[in-house]
Formats: sequence, C-alpha cells, structure tokens
Amino acid sequence: MSTPLIGVSKSILKIKELINHVANTCLNVLITGETGVGKEVVAQNLYAESARSTKNFVKINCAALPETLLESELFGYEKGAFTGAHKKRPGKFQTADKGVLFLDEIGDMPMALQSKMLHVLQSGEFSPLGSDQEFKTDVWVIAATNHNLEESIHKKTFREDLFYRLNIIKIDVPPLRERKEDIPSLLEYYYRLYKSEYPDNHGSKPDSDIIAKLCNYPWPGNVRQLQNCIKKQMILNSWAKIIEELPQEHPESVPQIETDIRMNGAARPKINEINDDRTSIISKFVDLSTSSEKLFEDISLKKIKKLASDRVEKEVILFVLEKVGWNRSRAAKILKISYKTLLYKMNEFDISPPVK
Amino acid sequence: MEDPSRLLIVDDNEDILSTFYEFFNSMGYEVKTAVDGFAALKLLRDKSNFFDCLITDLVMPNISGVGLISIVKKEYPHLKIIAMTGYGDQPGALASEAEADVVLFKPIDLFKIENTVAELINQAKDNKKK
Repeated sequence: MSTPLIGVSKSILKIKELINHVANTCLNVLITGETGVGKEVVAQNLYAESARSTKNFVKINCAALPETLLESELFGYEKGAFTGAHKKRPGKFQTADKGVLFLDEIGDMPMALQSKMLHVLQSGEFSPLGSDQEFKTDVWVIAATNHNLEESIHKKTFREDLFYRLNIIKIDVPPLRERKEDIPSLLEYYYRLYKSEYPDNHGSKPDSDIIAKLCNYPWPGNVRQLQNCIKKQMILNSWAKIIEELPQEHPESVPQIETDIRMNGAARPKINEINDDRTSIISKFVDLSTSSEKLFEDISLKKIKKLASDRVEKEVILFVLEKVGWNRSRAAKILKISYKTLLYKMNEFDISPPVK
Repeated sequence: MEDPSRLLIVDDNEDILSTFYEFFNSMGYEVKTAVDGFAALKLLRDKSNFFDCLITDLVMPNISGVGLISIVKKEYPHLKIIAMTGYGDQPGALASEAEADVVLFKPIDLFKIENTVAELINQAKDNKKK
C-alpha cells in the first residue's frame, strides 16, 4: 500500500539510510522540501520500517482546515462541547495512539494551536474540547512543511520552542531538478503502476530520447508533476504533446519576447506574450499541468513567496560564495547574516563548495 | 600506561571541530569527529564500546544533537555526554530533558571542557570499580 522511496541519487540513498537508522527511535521528525517532492512518502517509509507499522498511520493536513476545525480534529470533543457536537468524537491524537501522527503542512498551523501542540509533545497529554480530563497519548509525531520554519520563527508565525521540539530529526527532500538521476526510475515505477491500475490504457513507455528530454526539464512541481505527466500519457499516448505542454522556464521565454518586440517594432509585447510570460513565471512555483481544481488547491501566495525568495536567496548566496572563494565567514559578513544562518541556508539549499 | 580516553566530538562547524580535535589530541585523548548526528550515530553503531565520552553540538542537520543524545542514552547508557549550545535556552533545555550529563553554553573555554570530560570519565571509571 505504501509507496517506496524511489531513486538512485545520493540524497535519496542518504534519506533511505537515515530512515533505516531512526525508524525505531520514535523521536520527532521534521520533513522539509518543496511541494510535490514526496514528504509524505518519506513519512510512510519511516512508519513502515518502524515497530509501529502494525498500528495506525493517521494524517492531518494543518493547512486545509480552519483553526477551530483543526483543533477538534486533533484533540476530539465531548458531546455538547459546541453547537453541533451531538456526540463525542475522538481526535487524531487518540486514533493515532501507539502509532504515527503525520502533521502535514505544520508551517501553516495557527499560533494558538501551536502552543496546544507543544503541550501535548511535552507532556504526552491532551484534553478533548469540552472535557476537563487529560488523556495520555503515545504518538510518534512526524511533521512536514515546505516553509522555512526558521524564517517563520523570525516572522513570528511559528513558535521557536515547537520548532526545536519537532526538529529532533530533520529530513530534507531535495527538489527533483537537483536529483535528475532519479527521473528514469521514477518514470519506470509510475508507468508500471498506472499501467497496472488502468490495463486498458495504451500509453507507450518513454524511449531513451524522451527520457533524456524529461530529465532535462526542471520539474517545478517535482515528483507530483512527473506523476501527472505519466497519467496524462496513459490517456493521450503522445509524449511529444506532453513535453510540448510542459510549462517552460522563464529564462527561455524572455529572449523570445524581446525578438518579437524588435520584429513588430512595437514598444509593448502582445497580450498573449504577457500571458505566456506570466504562466512561465508562475509555472516555476506551481504545477500548472494539473486540473484547475487541484491547481487552485496548490496555489498559495505564502508558499509561492517562500519558493520565489528561496530561489533568489540561493543564487545570491552562491554568487557571494564564489566571489570570496567559498570563505563562509566572509560571505556571511557580506550578506549581513550570521555565520550559523549562512550554514543553515547552505544546507537548506544544498549548496556545497565545488569538489576539488 | 593507561589507555588514552576516547572522545567522539560532533559539530557541523568544521572550524570548531578541528579546533577541538587539535586541542584534545594534544591533551592526550584519542579523538574521532563527526559533522552531524547521523555521521556520529554511524560511528557509534560501528564501535559501540569504543568511546568514553561524547561531546556534541545541538543544532545540526539530519539527526540533531538532542536526537543523538536520546538515542545514545537508550542504546549506549555507559557513554558520558556533554552537550554544547550557542542557541539560547531552547535546545539546551531539550538536551537536559534528553539526559545529557552536562550542558554547556558557547562560547566555551576549552580547558574547562577538558576538566568536565576528565571528571565525567573518572566518575564512570570509579563506578565501574565499585
């Protein structure tokens, strides 16, 4: 039932090894990475390799529910706790007892709930809404986010004490464009999977040419976007069309517009081109290849802001580091951040000095 | 002559790591180093009875110092642990909760740490004799 962690890249192999070493410790885990990289797959693998694999794996998305609903989902409620609470309902902390509670999008959890969360993590106790009784719970908490929580702490949208309590083990899943060598095995795996799910579909497997093209694409929506492409292939059976429809990266479209301006002699690009330009910018941060329903779910200004600023930050850090010959304390001074912050960011963005 | 005491030092800052390495080496210890909790754990699982004392930073990628301390206390309870933190109270408090033997705040005087290390190791040896 659970998806294996697919890939041959150094980073994926390291994650597998780490999972293997920590799955039985039940220490809190924080999984970070861009949207669509497979944070939940990592969580499921931790669970599957642990001694808790015979118990429940309970998932809750902290971004999808309004605060009050999230609270009652997590902690449960007594009959009559609020209007409409006709009967008692157990919370996720109860259903996940002795098992795993996977808190997805923890970075979006409202502050008030964060302090309740902290209380449970510290004491192992919680009380359902409308109850004055405290219940013991033994859950293994695995949290995931695509936010940079250190930044959120800075902006006072995430509690520092909760962060340190969750961040006991940190697993960062790099974006697909930084581990292109994983693309062929992902293609193979999902092609087989969808083929077995829909045996009547006749989408052909990608040949080596197509695989090379797909490996060169930056996959802003990561593994999820790749999965969607393979699903599409099952129906369309035209890799050429699918590749053509992949949202293109911004830099390629800029010169296009410039030449068009020159050719038309007009000062402004046409509406169409502005739209192309816009989609190409957006496509860097959101997977536009999904259905609009899914797309609207994925679009979040907060998330996009984070992805966009990360991208620029990474480039600036690399630029400065290269200028100062990878002297990190000098770079930190120039960037006007602390040495520790620089190291953290280098780690987060997977920046490492060129191998000598 | 007695065998030298064996230390495992863990810090993601390579400058600190090499300073500690040089210092404890010159003081007659046998020193191994690791750049994060995961690397340290692998060393420990490889040679579980090798080390006498673990000195670890707290905020690190992969397995944090707090994580490492929790695992070590469970799996290798004989090992003495010194936690170092430059991050204010949060991780320090968690390290105490995870039962580090000593929690020190950066910046730390190397001679002071050496004193602490010697004390902890002697304590352990005394306990063994009893």
